[in-house]
Amino acid sequence: MKSFPAFLARIVLLFGVGLALTGCGPSTESGPSSGSSASSPGAATSAKKLVVFSQCNNAEPYRAAQNRKLEELLSLQSDVKLVIYDGQADAAKQISQIENAIRQKPDLLIVAPLQRDSLTKVMGESMRAGIPTLCLERDIVEPNYTSWIQCDNFKIGRLAGQWIVDHLTKKNGEPRGNLVELRGMQGVEGAINRHAGAFSVLTNYPKIKVVHDANANWFQPQAMDRMTEALNAHPTGIDVVYGHNDPMAYGAYLAAREKGREKEIAFVGVDGLPNEGAKYVQEGVLGVTFEYPLCVDKAVEIGLRILREPGFKPEKTYLMESRMVAK
Amino acid sequence: MLPRIFKRLGPGRNGLVLLVIFVLAALVSPRSQRGDIIFLSLGNLTDALRAITPVGITSLAMTWVVLSAGIDLSVGSVAALSGVVAGRLLVHWHPEGMPMSLHVALAVTVAVLACTGVGLMNGALTASLSIQPFVITLASMIGVRGFALWLCNNERIGLGVGTDAAGLFGEWFSNKWVMLGIYALLGLAFLILLNRTVFGRYVRAVGDNFGAARLAGLPVLRVQLGVYALSGLMAGVAGVLLAARTTTGDPNGGVAMELDVIAVVVIGGASLAGGRGGILGTLNGAMIVGVVTNILGLRNVDFNLQLVLKAAIIVLAVALQRRKLRA
Repeated sequence: MKSFPAFLARIVLLFGVGLALTGCGPSTESGPSSGSSASSPGAATSAKKLVVFSQCNNAEPYRAAQNRKLEELLSLQSDVKLVIYDGQADAAKQISQIENAIRQKPDLLIVAPLQRDSLTKVMGESMRAGIPTLCLERDIVEPNYTSWIQCDNFKIGRLAGQWIVDHLTKKNGEPRGNLVELRGMQGVEGAINRHAGAFSVLTNYPKIKVVHDANANWFQPQAMDRMTEALNAHPTGIDVVYGHNDPMAYGAYLAAREKGREKEIAFVGVDGLPNEGAKYVQEGVLGVTFEYPLCVDKAVEIGLRILREPGFKPEKTYLMESRMVAK
Repeated sequence: MLPRIFKRLGPGRNGLVLLVIFVLAALVSPRSQRGDIIFLSLGNLTDALRAITPVGITSLAMTWVVLSAGIDLSVGSVAALSGVVAGRLLVHWHPEGMPMSLHVALAVTVAVLACTGVGLMNGALTASLSIQPFVITLASMIGVRGFALWLCNNERIGLGVGTDAAGLFGEWFSNKWVMLGIYALLGLAFLILLNRTVFGRYVRAVGDNFGAARLAGLPVLRVQLGVYALSGLMAGVAGVLLAARTTTGDPNGGVAMELDVIAVVVIGGASLAGGRGGILGTLNGAMIVGVVTNILGLRNVDFNLQLVLKAAIIVLAVALQRRKLRA
């Protein structure tokens, strides 16, 4: 007992060193930096154009994919320097980061706003400072942006709803069947509109019944538990699971698989990230998923034209189309 | 006779509360087409128990922490770290010629030891700096979450359901009976350790009266190191089970798990002031939470109302016990 903690500490140290040696650290090349290197971007010595991306929360797979794609695309441009700020899912933080960015007078500001209300004012300040400002995905209250690259969750929901109707018609001969819905976090725009969009279609078919709906907060583990309850409450007759994101749909699949019921159910997800939802579809786990576009490719396309073509007048809104990912 | 048994059960007295909730759940449970009570089916009961297993396992060690008048807020982050470390070792490390079972065993061992290391650090900082454990473990909750996110570049590590080491890991540790078996064994181990060893008595003594324990020459420092190391260890085990069950090393997993864990411990009759509580009570608390969550899910109660009902039941369960204690 006497040296028990010390013994443990030694082992932990040993494995820590081992972990480092086996090269299990992250494979970040440049990594989202916090902008300290961009303290004097306006200096005449640097001819590089400064692009600032204010990301609302790095710690989400979708947003990590966004960051990576943006870094990848802009690394091809030798005259552009990219700085990414991480708002850490905190509106106040994102606002003050944008204020910092404005002081650095970047040549382009791209914002993925956390919330529509909170970010409206500060993006207006950016516009007044004469900085071309691109708004990604979500709308803000006033059009304080040069261009808005829009993702439409309602439309994605409608596509999912229509797929469910078609699938049930094929399966049961008419649009009839039992649905389980696993919802994202309550009150979040994505969850509201992915639900509303789907049901704007589904309510036209009274024989499609929601036998169970549960809130799994976007999380896969919660989806597994909620789906297990749904499966127990309905020992037969679940036709479709609609998850507001792929991890929840995947969690539902795992829960059904455990009870040997995954074959009788079609799993519908949203997001379609290459190494997540799209992969699940290829593996036959999900019946279908709908891509929530990353938007950054469009942002780079427009952004580079703004930087390089003085007479370029971008559209106010670009609507990004979702893509259905099926096998 | 009866009061004496009650007395011996100690905080396990809330077994009555569990019994009442259990009977109520059976009464309001939906029925299958054959008229069976779904809630009472073995499949559902074990599902309910398994859903609470990660929280339940973590709450065993948390009971000790709370008994020693401490608190560990870092367990959710630590569980996420565990899943990420295991995930990285399983997916991104390809040891040539190593048998798959050894690969899995190593990954699990390193993950759990890393978490024990975090626990040791919590204990060492708490004891040596005499800063409240609330503050130390709050910091560690933030820092460890960041570390887990950094380790995998903000992305989930998919383990898949294939036949490689990662798939094997998922298959082993997501098996319902393996999960329940681990929970049962650990529960038994903690029960014996707390009630039959000197260390267990020290833990109580330290929580009861820190100053007196120190003056009496008890190894106060080592007790603190020990309980936080165990807490890290158990959170690590919970993280491994979560990762296996979701076939994902998720850096955002276990968010707010610490609150569920503390709720279980408190429902189990422990006092956050230290000195009072026990493993039987905590096991009981876990089952109360498990049954309530399960029946609300089976009945498909509106999920916002679920939260309200759960809150009411937590307060009620604790209040009932206090009453009995005073009587």
